[in-house]
Amino acid sequence: MERDRFSRCHPSVTFAFFIVAIGLGAMIMHPAYIIVSGIAASSYYCLIKGYRGLKLLVLSVPLFIFITLFNPLVNHQGQRILAYVFGRPYTFEAMVYGMAVAGMLIVMLLWAGCFNHVMTSDRFMVLFGGLIPTLSMLLTMILRLVPNMMRKTAQIAGARKAIGRGVGEDDPMKKKASDSMNVASSLLSWSLEGGAVTADAMKARGYGAGKRSSYEIIRFTPSDLVMAVGMIMLFTAVVMLIAKGGTAAEYTPVMNITPIGSSGLPGFAAYGIFLMLPTIMHLVEDLQWRISRSGI
Amino acid sequence: MAHFEIRDLNFLYASAKGRKSLEGVDLTIEKGQYVVVCGKSGSGKTTLLRHLKPVLTPAGKRSGKILFNGKDIGELTDREQAELIGYVMQDPDDQIVTDKVWHELAFGLESLGCDQKTMRARVSEMACYFGIQNWFHRDVTELSGGQKQLLNLASVMAMHPQVLILDEPTSQLDPIAASDFLDTVRKINLELGTTVIITEHRLEDILPYADRAVVMDSGRIIEDDVPSNIGRELYLKGNEMFHAMPTPVRSFYLCEGQGECPLTVRDGRGWLDREFPQGAPVRSLPEKEPVYAPDDIVLSMKEVWFRYGRDLPDILTGVSCEIPKGVIYAIVGGNGSGKSTTLKAMCGINRAYRGKVEIFGKKIDKYKSSELFDHCMAMLPQDPKSLFVKKSVREELEEMSKDEARINEVASLCEITSLMDSHPYDLSGGEQQRAALAKVLLTEPRILLLDEPTKGLDSFFKETFAGILSDLKKQGITVVMVSHDVEFCARYSDMVSMFFDGQIITTDSPKRFFGNNSFYTTAANRMSRHIFDMAVSIEDVVELYRLNRGGDRS
Repeated sequence: MERDRFSRCHPSVTFAFFIVAIGLGAMIMHPAYIIVSGIAASSYYCLIKGYRGLKLLVLSVPLFIFITLFNPLVNHQGQRILAYVFGRPYTFEAMVYGMAVAGMLIVMLLWAGCFNHVMTSDRFMVLFGGLIPTLSMLLTMILRLVPNMMRKTAQIAGARKAIGRGVGEDDPMKKKASDSMNVASSLLSWSLEGGAVTADAMKARGYGAGKRSSYEIIRFTPSDLVMAVGMIMLFTAVVMLIAKGGTAAEYTPVMNITPIGSSGLPGFAAYGIFLMLPTIMHLVEDLQWRISRSGI
Repeated sequence: MAHFEIRDLNFLYASAKGRKSLEGVDLTIEKGQYVVVCGKSGSGKTTLLRHLKPVLTPAGKRSGKILFNGKDIGELTDREQAELIGYVMQDPDDQIVTDKVWHELAFGLESLGCDQKTMRARVSEMACYFGIQNWFHRDVTELSGGQKQLLNLASVMAMHPQVLILDEPTSQLDPIAASDFLDTVRKINLELGTTVIITEHRLEDILPYADRAVVMDSGRIIEDDVPSNIGRELYLKGNEMFHAMPTPVRSFYLCEGQGECPLTVRDGRGWLDREFPQGAPVRSLPEKEPVYAPDDIVLSMKEVWFRYGRDLPDILTGVSCEIPKGVIYAIVGGNGSGKSTTLKAMCGINRAYRGKVEIFGKKIDKYKSSELFDHCMAMLPQDPKSLFVKKSVREELEEMSKDEARINEVASLCEITSLMDSHPYDLSGGEQQRAALAKVLLTEPRILLLDEPTKGLDSFFKETFAGILSDLKKQGITVVMVSHDVEFCARYSDMVSMFFDGQIITTDSPKRFFGNNSFYTTAANRMSRHIFDMAVSIEDVVELYRLNRGGDRS
C-alpha cells in the first residue's frame, strides 16, 4: 500500500492527531466547528481513498437526511412548531439538532475511516511495542496465528471433501455439526503440535533469557518533532477557546449558538488548521513532486 | 580445542520402554567443520542434535558428557546458548514466531535485549546477505516455503552463532528451493567459518561438500569418516543406509568400481569416461512393453481451463490428458506451476470453467459428490495431518468403514497394523503418510490421486510406499500423482507428464521421458547419458555396465 506524507509520520504523531480530532469532534456541538471538521475529514478521506471515498460521501447524504428528519419525531422540545405528527409537535429546533447530530456522526465515521487507513496493525504495534514489549509480542503472535488457523481449516475441509467426508449444502444439521466438531478437534491437535515447535524456536532464540528490547522499524524523525510541536501549539489555542466558552451551542428547547466573532476567531482558525494538517501535507507533497518533475 | 566433544553419551526417553535412543555415542566436532549426520528415521539423529542445544534437550535418563568449547554444555547460560548455538528445525511454518519478516529477523536480538543501533546493523546485514531486502516489510504468510526457511536461517544467523545445527531443514521444500537453501548453508560455512552440523535425506546435494559424514543406526554411530569413504564401508557391510547414498556413489559400488569413489554427477561422468574410453558397445537396454491397455481410459481431461477467481489469472490453460486403467501416472513440473490445481480439477474440487473432465467415460458434473468419492476416486492430500481427526489410528479408520475385516486388510496392506492404537500425531512422517493412505483406501477408490506423496519421506519409507503403490496397481487401481521427486517418478511410474505454463506439454514412458531430457532428469541419466542411452535409474546403469563387461542379460 502506498503511504502519503501524513501516514508516513511516526505513529505516535498520527495517533495523537486522531485522538484530538475524534475527541474534540465528539465534544463540540457548534455547527461551524462540525462543518470545518467535516470538510477536513472528507477532503483527506477522498485524497487517500480516491473514487471510493467519494462514494462513501454520497452514501452518507441519505443518512444525514434520515437522522435530521427522524430526530424531531422523538425529541419534541423547541419553540417553532412546524407541524404535528401523530399528535406530537414537530419542531424546527429539534430538526436543527438532528442535523448537528447527523453531521457529527458522519464526521466521526470519516475520521474513523482515515484512522483505519493510516494506523495499520504494524504501526499500532510500533506505538505500543515500546511501552509494553510482552503484550505487543503476544499480539504479534496472535496476528500470526489467525491466518495460520484459517489456512489449516481450509486444508482440513478440502482434504475431507476429497475422501467423501466433506459437508455439502443439503446435509442435515446434525451431520454438519458433528463434522465441524471433527474439524475443530483436528485443528486443535494440529495447532498444539505447531505451538510446541514455535515454543522451541522461541527458546532457541533466547526468549526469556533476559529483558526484551523492541526493534523500532519506524524512527521518530526531526520532521515528526516539528509536526508534534506544531500540533501541541494549535491544540493549546483550541483548548483555551473552549475554556472561554467560545464553542458553546444549545439547540433545544431554545436555540443558543455562540457566534464566532473576533474573540473566537483565532481558536476557530487553529481548530481548522489542525484538522486540515493531513490534507495540507498531502497537497504540499503533490505540489512538490509536480514542481520537481517540471524541473527535470 | 574441539568445538563439541561428546563422550559415551547414553540417553533413554522418559516415555520409552527400555530401548535407548542414544547408545555409547562418541563424537568430536572441530571448529569450522561441515558435518552431515545421516541415518534412517528414528535412528536417533534428532535426539543427538537436540543434545547439542541445552534448551532443546529432551527429558529422560542420560549419562555421559558433552563439552562445548572445553566446558560442560550444561554450564551455558540461556543467553550464551541462544547466541552461540543456532538451531533450525524441519517445519518452515511453525518455527516462525512473528507476523512480519523484519520482526522475525529481529526477534532473537530483541530477546537478548540488544540496543537499537546494534539491532539495526545486524538486521540490515542479514537482510542483505540472505537477499531478503526485497521482502523485508512483507507479512510472513505471503512467503513461499523456501523463503520461510531462508528467513528462519537468517534470523538464527542474526545472532552470530559459532555453530549452526540444522535438523532436516529442506524436507518440506521443493528441490529447487532445497538446493538454494543448502547452497546458502554451504556459503555460511565457507565464508564465515561457522561450524555446521546437519541431518538430511537429500544427501546428493550435501555429501560432496561435507567434511565428514556420520552414520547412525539405532542410536549408535556406526560410521564416521570422510564422505568419499563412507559409501564403501556401508556397501561392504550391506547396511541399508547404502540406499540413501547419492546416485554416483551407489552406481560406482554396485558396478564394483575401483579407485576414488565419485560423489557428484560430474565425477561420475569422469568415472564412466575412464571405464569406457571408446564408448560402450551396448548403449541401451531393450524397452519394456507397456503393461496397460491404452484404450481403456478411466480419466480424461480435454482442454480444461481454471482460475481461482474472476479477476485472477488462469492457472490451467487447456489441460488435456488421458489416463488408462491400472497405471501409475506421474505429473512432474516446477513449483507453483499448477500441478496440484490439476489434481483438484480431476476430482471436481476445482470446477473447470471451460473444457471437459470425464471419469470412467462419464462427465464429472453428472456425478453426485457422494457417488464421486465412494468406490470411485479419492485424494491423499500433501499434508497427511489434514486427514487426522481422531485420537487413534484405529478410530481414524473406523470413521471410514464399519467393516472390521476390511480395516484389518487395508491396515496390513499399508503396514500400520502395529500402530493401530497410537495417536496419529505420535507417528513419524512416513507412518503418518501410510495411516492417511489407509484412511483414503477405505473409500475403496478405483482412482487414487496423490499430491506430493514422497515429500519429507526418507529413502526407506519411499521404498515401502512404492511397494504399496505397486500392490494397489495389481488390484487394478489407477494411481495419479503429482510430484517434484524426479527419481521416484522415474523408478516407479508407468507414464510421466511434464506440466508447464498451465498445460501438460508431453507425456511418455518414464524411460523415454527422462531419457530425452538433459536437465530435468534423474541423476543416473545425467551421469551416464554420454555413454548409455536412456538409462534413467541406477539399475539401468548397473545392468548396462555389466553387459558391457561381458555379463549375461539378467
